[in-house]
Formats: sequence, structure tokens, C-alpha cells
Amino acid sequence: MTFNLTLTGADLLLLLPESLLTFWLCVVLTVDFVWPRMPKEQLAYLSVGGLAAVLGTLIWFDQGGLSGTLFNNMFVLDRMALFFKIFIVLSTMLVILASMDYVHRFRFFQGEYYFLVLMSALGMMFMASANDLLSVFVTLEFSTFGFYVLVAYLREDMASNEAGLKFFILGVFAAGLLAYGISLVYGESGKLVFSDIASTPGSPGLAIGFLLIFAALGFKIGAVPFHSWIPDTYHGAPTPVTAFLSIAPKGAAFAILLRMFFVSLAAFKPAWVLLLVATSILSMTYGNIVAIAQKNIKRLLAYSGIAQIGNVLIGLAAGTKDGGNAILFYLLTYLFANLGAFAIVIAVGNSINSDEIEDYNGLNRRSPFLAFAMLVFLLSLAGVPPLAGFIGKLYIFVAAIKEELYTLIVVGLLNVVISMYYYLVVVKKMYINEPTDPTPLTISGPMKAVVYVGLAGTLVLGIYPKPFIEWVVAATLMFSNLAGTSAALPPTVLPFGG
Amino acid sequence: MLDSILLIILFSPFLGAVALMFVPNRQALRVRLTAAISAGVCCSASWIMFLAFDPAKSGYQFVQKFEWSKELGIAFYLGVDGIGAPLVLASGILLFAGIFISWHIKDRTKEFYIFLLILAAATIGVFMSLDLFFLYFFYEMSVIPMYLLLGVWGSHTKKYLEMTDPDGLKKRDSVAFLFNFASNSKEYAAMKLTLFLSAGAVLALMGILLIYKFSGLNTFDIVALKEQAHFGQPLTTIIWLLILYEIFPDATRELMPIAAILCIFSILYGGLVAFYARDTKYVIGYSSSSHMGYVFLGMAALDYISLTGAVMYMFAHAMATGMLFAMAGWVYDQTHSRDIPSLGGLVNRMPFVSGCFIIACMASIGMPGTVNFWAEVMILVGAWGRYPIQVLIAMVGIVLTMGYLFRMMRGLFYGPMEEQYSHARDAVSMVDRFPLLLMIACSVGFFLFPYYFYNVVRSGVDPLIARITQVVPLAAEGREASFVKREATSLTPSVSGNFTPVSRFTFHVSREKE
Repeated sequence: MTFNLTLTGADLLLLLPESLLTFWLCVVLTVDFVWPRMPKEQLAYLSVGGLAAVLGTLIWFDQGGLSGTLFNNMFVLDRMALFFKIFIVLSTMLVILASMDYVHRFRFFQGEYYFLVLMSALGMMFMASANDLLSVFVTLEFSTFGFYVLVAYLREDMASNEAGLKFFILGVFAAGLLAYGISLVYGESGKLVFSDIASTPGSPGLAIGFLLIFAALGFKIGAVPFHSWIPDTYHGAPTPVTAFLSIAPKGAAFAILLRMFFVSLAAFKPAWVLLLVATSILSMTYGNIVAIAQKNIKRLLAYSGIAQIGNVLIGLAAGTKDGGNAILFYLLTYLFANLGAFAIVIAVGNSINSDEIEDYNGLNRRSPFLAFAMLVFLLSLAGVPPLAGFIGKLYIFVAAIKEELYTLIVVGLLNVVISMYYYLVVVKKMYINEPTDPTPLTISGPMKAVVYVGLAGTLVLGIYPKPFIEWVVAATLMFSNLAGTSAALPPTVLPFGG
Repeated sequence: MLDSILLIILFSPFLGAVALMFVPNRQALRVRLTAAISAGVCCSASWIMFLAFDPAKSGYQFVQKFEWSKELGIAFYLGVDGIGAPLVLASGILLFAGIFISWHIKDRTKEFYIFLLILAAATIGVFMSLDLFFLYFFYEMSVIPMYLLLGVWGSHTKKYLEMTDPDGLKKRDSVAFLFNFASNSKEYAAMKLTLFLSAGAVLALMGILLIYKFSGLNTFDIVALKEQAHFGQPLTTIIWLLILYEIFPDATRELMPIAAILCIFSILYGGLVAFYARDTKYVIGYSSSSHMGYVFLGMAALDYISLTGAVMYMFAHAMATGMLFAMAGWVYDQTHSRDIPSLGGLVNRMPFVSGCFIIACMASIGMPGTVNFWAEVMILVGAWGRYPIQVLIAMVGIVLTMGYLFRMMRGLFYGPMEEQYSHARDAVSMVDRFPLLLMIACSVGFFLFPYYFYNVVRSGVDPLIARITQVVPLAAEGREASFVKREATSLTPSVSGNFTPVSRFTFHVSREKE
């Protein structure tokens, strides 16, 4: 294998969003060093501005239908990669806006915080484009590296340190599993690029190798049984970092999982469907049942996140283009609802300095806006119409029933009812219980913007999802050759693309 | 204008709720007026819809169809037939009356009206959706406003107040308490209601997904499913158990005798519990479940007259029970008691409310003078042919209804009055009297002029019953004849999901032929 590193101008264009972000994060770091007295808010706005430029470029690429591969197929830019990049950049922008008030709490390195967030985002953007196992390893570590620092950012807080340590040790362990899995796969097939591996005949070595890779990615998305770091890390980490951690890396990891299962392993579908069904059932049930007992809102959202990932895995288990569409759409709804919920947690936490659910008592009397927004976000996570989460769940279930995954659907629907309970307990505290301290809460401008974006996304995706569904359908065109197992379906008439 | 009347009915409460979000909470009168205006638009539009409905035409009217997602096969598809139209009208009237009945709510007025309007709009949406997806969408959407309305503004008992100490608070938050059916605090009532409704909704969603899959049409459109899809017997029965629908005439015919027996339990159980209940709301609530037994009996008989009666009964019941609950609420607001034996003699303090209450009770019993009379008579007459025993038992149920409603009437308004209730006031202002008069007018008006109502309902009932009772054997394959609906004759064989019928059903039909 020889690498050809002569890049033409057209090749460089494919790297434009990443190059732009790399340049911009250097700018942010330099500005922070050169003008140390500059208010850190300016730095946040600077980062958001840069991300907006990157977002614009990505949308331009998406509309223009630009695609191609680089570095001997290691890096691919297709519409799915663009979808995930837009997803990551959007969530990073919102997280930075939501963390502006919180950053004041840091005693050190307020400026570097933004640099680290941008760096993780850059790593995840590369993850979305990773097209072979080596770039999976490199980009995954690249993005996690920033998070190791961010999780432990509250240096004097024991919980944050504990969270950082747990995340680091388990993260490194997962990296070891990933490297071992990759070496096994390479040893069996002699290939690294996803689409090349597809032609390899099945063997135990290959199976074990992919199982290990799946475990490493399962750690990343927090699916049961790889979830053990999630509650403590989410609880201890600074809340904006938790918000970031709960959304963007999961999206990036799903980009890799989709390519791995739907491209490399398409021929072995009967073998891995069972694995995914089991993981999905475990994640949903465990996440929802343990969430009931939580007293801390961050832990509640951590467990609910585990359950949500179980839902997304239903789409992966379906193993069809519909499943892929559903995953992309679901992640989009999850982005707005979960980020919105965390924005409220940050806003409330900034005011009353507590994340206990008990302190949400009577939030409706203290701040009707925050309570209403939280109501909308939690109900979207629970999957109540007319909010985004409902359409996401329905899309997932439709994809699953077309593949006759009845067990998964029954368990999934039961879990919808279970999850309703613990989301409603929070709603109950906000609306029905009386506040212990009735002082009104205030909310800052950028935070308000994040909440409004979350509300808008949650409502628009729920009421008028058509353009977004068309977008995700176009983003997964490369999976349209995946045949469903069900003969009862009319054949999908979609152009063979990708 | 008239074409888009359903959109006006559906979206005026929604827009009202959105408009309310921008009205400051302090200006309570403006909040109430905004809610009243949007509900008024909804109510008058539903009257216009009902009167413009053409009973001579069969099928859905005022149809609105917008594509919503081609990929998932969902269309925003609205329309009413003779069954949907009266129900939409009833919801419109109840919403408008409900705004005035809750006029005196002081705690978080704005939020109350927002949730009330969303709840009403979602309910109306259920009645006019012609797409299974939107049917579920609106159904599930109504659950959360109900939770909040009940949980925040619901009334609670003394037992609940005892639990406000820190220790009790902890108890109130535990999961185990959810399953404690003895507790009747508002939060747990609300949580139970929501979880039960969600569980039911989830079952329905399962059914909808199965229909979606096995129709093979990639659509949630009810009309298309009815006309084009045909399902195998065992699957139909399963789905029918999950979601009752006219898409499945065969299963309906087969399972209705079971429903006819169940409805008797409903009538007698509801009636007996209501007879022994002390709490006004319990009496009305159980009487309601008893009355739903009559509706079910009318549906189970699969007869033109009885089904028309059942639909009219739903409308009549909505008016009568709406009034009863409104006045039980009024009495509670004035006396802070719902305990029938401890109340009494209120007729002197509130003559207007007592008068309305008596009319409502008469309506609930089904006395001539209210539309309930026609409905009840039609159910019993129509069902007599198929289920005479059930009809006789249902007649006993009417006597029972009379018993508990007279008991409640006497307990609340007659006999000696306790001193502590002497400050109770009557409904004097027009705002308080209007909703009661509105519902009485509807109830009495349709008693005097039932023909139009009857024709409207009949236009929806006729094709439905014809479809369910008529069986046309298409082809005999060996000894197992395959019975496919008439509408399906033009079906191309490419539509999949067609299972061979089981012999159990074949037997059933061949016996009918002899």
C-alpha cells in the first residue's frame, strides 16, 4: 500500500471545512494568549462565528452535492459525512453558547476551554469522514483527547476529577480494544477500508475483531453493557461538557457504526442483527428502569441517554436504508431535545447552584419560560406528539416493523411507557409541587438563544419534518442497495447511489 | 371557506393557545377573553360544519388532504362522516362551555387555558383524522395536557394534604405509591391516568404499525386501507383487539358478541358502584362508565338503528355529563364538599343550579325532553333483535340510573341544610349561567328536532353497517373458501400480506349462508 500525498486543489476543497476549523481554533488560542485581558465572552462569540462559517461551508457542500475521497479512501466526503458534520458543528455552536455563563466558574484556563471544545469538534468531524479502520482509530482518539481534559475541568471539584479519571481509564481501555479489534480484522482480511472488507469471507477472527470494534464504539455511545462510565462522568463533568458529551460523540460514533455495519458487514447481517437487538433491548430497559430512581437531573439525563441510544440501535438492527434514515432523523431530534434539556439544567444550575431534581420544585412559578421549555424538551425525549421525538421514535419503529423485529418493537413500546413515568416526575415537580424558595430565576441572553433554538428545532421537526426527512433520505442514498429481509415489502425504487 | 371549515375548527384552539403565550399572566381578564374568543370561533365553526353537512351524500365530507411525508406515507388528511360530525360538534360545544365553567380559576390562569385549548384541539383532531398516524398523533397529544390539568388544578382530598410534610413528600414521590390504588390524591390520579392512557396508546400504535406493515401499501391513510387492503383472519383478530376499526369488518362481526356481554358488565358495574358512592364526582364518573355500556351495546348489535342511537347517545351523554360535572364543581366551589350525605337543602341557596341539575339528571336518565331519550330508545330497540337478554338487563340499568341520580339530587339539594353552607351562592352572572344554558339548549333542541341529527348520523352509519354485515364469497379454493370484501375485487395480486383465511371463519360464514 502506497500513499499518494500529492493533493490537488479539488482535493483540498474537500478538506475545506476541517482546514477552516483548524485555522480558526489556532486563531482562538492565539487571541486568548495575545490579549489575556479580553473578556472571555468575546472568545466564545469568536468561536461561534468561526463555527458558523464552517457550518455555512458544509451546507454549501451539501447543497452542491460535493463528494469524493482522499488519502487512498481513508477520508470520505459524502452526504452522510456532511450530515454528521453539520450535526456536530451545530451542537458545538449551541454548547458554546450555553457554556458562556458557566465558564465564569472555572478558576483557570477559561480561554482554553473554547479551544478544547473546538478541537474535539474537529476530531469528531474527521470521525464522520473516517472510511477505514486506521482513520477510525486516529480520529476517535483525537476527539476523545479533548474530552479527557474537558471532563476534569473543574480542578477543585472531586466529582469532576473522579469523572475525568473514570472516563480516561475506560476510554483508554476502549482504545485498546479498538486497536486489538482492528489488528484482528486486518490480520484476517488484509484490508482496512470499509468497502474493501465487505468482500472478505467470514471467519471467527473477523467476527471477534468486529466484536471488539463494536465494544469500543459501544463505549463511545454508552450502550449497555459498555455504559458504566456514563452516570458518574455525566454527573461530575461541568454541565456544558456533559451536554456536549451526550450528543456530539454519539453522532460521530454512529457515523462509523453505520459505515461499519451497513457497508463492511452487509453480507453478515443475520449474524449481527441479534447482537444489536440484544444491545438495544438491554440499553432501553436498563436505562429507563434505573432512571426512575435518580435524584439528580444530570444522572437522570445520563440514564435517559442510555435508553435513547437503545432506541437508536433499533434502527441499526433493522439494517436497511430505512433504518439508516431513522437513525439520522432520531439523532437530529435528540440533538435539539437533549441539548435544550441540558441548557435548562445549566441555566437553573447557574441560578440556584444545584442539580438535584428536588430543587426543580415549583419551577413553573419561579420561571414559567424555563419550566415550559423543559416540559417541551422532556416530552420530546419521551416521544409525545407533536414534538420531534415522537416522529423520531415512529420512524425507528416503522423501520423495525418492516424488518419484522417484533420483539424489539414490543420492548421499545413498553419502554416508551416506562420513560413517560420518570419524565413526568420531573414535570410534576416543576408544575405541581410548590417551590421552597419562590424567588424568580433569571436567564442570560445567549442561554435564551440556545433554548429558543432547541424549542424551534423540537417543534419544527415534530410538526413539519418533511424537508428534514428528505434530507436524511438523501444522506443515506448509499445504503439503498441494502435489501430488507421481508418479502412483503414492495421493492424500494430508489436510484443506486453512493 | 366551507371547504376549509375543519381546519378552522381544529386550529382555532391551537392558535388561541399560541396567542395566550404572549398575553401577560397578570391580565387575567384578557387571558380569559382570548381563550373564550378562540373557543367561540371553534364552537361556531363546528355548528356551521354540522349544519352544512349533507346527509344525502355518503362518505367523508369537508375533506382536506395535504401530503406530510411521502417517505413514510403520511398525509395530513381530515374529513368527517356522519359519525365524526356530531362528535366534533359535541367537542366544540363542550370546549366553549368549559371555558366559562372554569372562568373563576385564579391560580395560573394562563397555563390552565393553554392546556385546556390544546387538549380540546387534540380531541377534535382525533375525531376528524382520516390518517392512522394523525389519529394516534392527536390521541397521544391529548394525554399530557390532561395530566397537567388534573395534576395542577385538580382537587384533592384531606389525605393528600396530610402528605405535605417532608416525610410525606418523600412518600408522594416514590414509585410504589403509584400502584397504591387507595390513594386518591390529584397527582397520583393524574399519573395513573397518563400511564394507563399511554399504555393504551402504545397498544394502539402497535396495531397501527401492524396494519401499516401487513397492508403492504406504505400508507397510514384510513380510506385507502379500507378500500384496498385486505388482511388474513388471525392477524385481523389480533389487530382488532389492539385497535378497533372499521378497516376490519370481518373481525368486527366475529367479536361483537363478546363485546355485547362485556357491555352488560359495564352497565351494571358502573351503575352499582355509582349507587353506593358518596362522592358526587364518583357518582357521575361511574354513571358515565355505565352509560358507555349502552353505547357499546348499540355498537355491538351491528344494527342501523342501534348504531345511530349509539352515536347520538355519545353526543347526548357529552351534554348531560358535562352539565353534571360543571354543577358538581360549582357545588364544590361553594361548599368545599363533595360528600353527598353531609350536603343538603341547597335548593334554597342556589335555585338556578338546582334547576339545571334536575334537567341534567333527567337527561342522564333518558327522560323524554332531552336528546338522550331518542338515543336510548334507539339503542334498545335496535339491539332487541340480536341481544334481547342484554336489552332487558340494560333496562334494569336504567332503573338503577334513576335510583342513584335521584339519590344524589335529593342528597345535594333537598332535605335539611347545614349551617356552614348557608353562605353558598347561586350562579347569578351570565358568565356562570351561559355554559349550562348552552348545553341544556343543545340537549333539548335536538329532542325537539331530531330528524336532521338522525339523518346526519345515519349517512355515516349506513355504509359502515352495510360493509360489516355483508359478506360476499369471491372464490372457493378447495374446501376453504376465501372471503374477501367487495371493495377488494379490483385489487391487483401484487398487494402482499394476504394470508389464507383460517377454517374457523369459513365455518362461521357458511353457517350464515344456510
